[in-house]
Amino acid sequence: MNDGTFYGGGGGFLAGGSPFGSGSGSPGGGQRRGAAAQSLRPTTIKQLLNATQMHSEADWTINDIEVGQVSVVAQVISVQVQTTNCQYVLDDGTGQLQARKWVEADNENEEEKTGGIIENTYVRVLGNLKFFNNRKQINATHILPVKDPHEAQFHILEAATVTIALEKGLPRPGEQKPAVANGHANSSAYTAQSHTGAMNSQFAHLPELQRRIVEFIMSQPAKEEGVHVGAIARAVGGQAHAISEALDRLMDEGHVFTTIDDSHFKVSI
Amino acid sequence: MSELVSPRVNAARIGDYIGRTVRLTGKIVKTEHDTLILQASDGGEVQVRLLRDADVGSPYIEVIGSVLDASTLKMQAFINLGENLDMKLVNDVVELWHDPRFSKMFL
Repeated sequence: MNDGTFYGGGGGFLAGGSPFGSGSGSPGGGQRRGAAAQSLRPTTIKQLLNATQMHSEADWTINDIEVGQVSVVAQVISVQVQTTNCQYVLDDGTGQLQARKWVEADNENEEEKTGGIIENTYVRVLGNLKFFNNRKQINATHILPVKDPHEAQFHILEAATVTIALEKGLPRPGEQKPAVANGHANSSAYTAQSHTGAMNSQFAHLPELQRRIVEFIMSQPAKEEGVHVGAIARAVGGQAHAISEALDRLMDEGHVFTTIDDSHFKVSI
Repeated sequence: MSELVSPRVNAARIGDYIGRTVRLTGKIVKTEHDTLILQASDGGEVQVRLLRDADVGSPYIEVIGSVLDASTLKMQAFINLGENLDMKLVNDVVELWHDPRFSKMFL
């Protein structure tokens, strides 16, 4: 997977929509409340054990970053089948946590209830963190057996990648430092960052010419009909057919679209 | 909580955890009746004292066990990991686990 598409839209994957929004050091700035609830974040059990919430209905946070659904890969220590649910004790080496998956009460078949999950195997558990009888647990929506042992290794690396990206911003190709590196951005730095920062994360992987076209269109005042190709050519310079080719490519990949006619372009965000 | 933690280790790091529980991923070199020799992800060999009746099958396994000395584990449980495993990846994960920059996640 290439970094661009992996993190590009970012929406559902990284909590808080744009990693720059939630990672840029404004803890408690809940302007995007609810966005995190729609996301799925890979974590370790230790991170879940250390997660906190302000009150029983609030979103959980890991190091001040909101988290919605979580994904954990861990060893199954025990399986306990009950009438209405199955309980699993999970251990990923960073700690132990119980997961509970609700099942159809009238299902008599024990194996169907556990989904064939057995002890001392790896599973991937998706769900929400909850308090139950004053103990943290995962309310699991899915519990899936891990079939390839590399998945457990991958999960650790993915959890680390997402954690560092949320806390420090994403690395961007061709740049020395992420714009959010200094968490205490003053207002002017913040406006600059919210514009170019979001843009770069999404378009940084594009070839030079295409990126400059996108940047130019975005720098123009927002108008219904978008930006005329002539204005793009003047701003970007170079050969007409190269620009037209770059625009075709940008359209093919859905980054820009034509508006009132074939000569006016807008950026899809 | 600390007694429920089992860090991922390679042969070189086992000595740092004497008396504690660790996870060692490796390839079985040979099996005797109550011990086996496991080649860890850094290439070092570790002796594992087996649980009674442990049905250790696949060449790659993860042993959860307590550290007796710098080259010996006493098995508490194990996970079969099949016939193919990228041991360089496993070793990189072990090192990441111990990287102080990620201390809030792992150790």
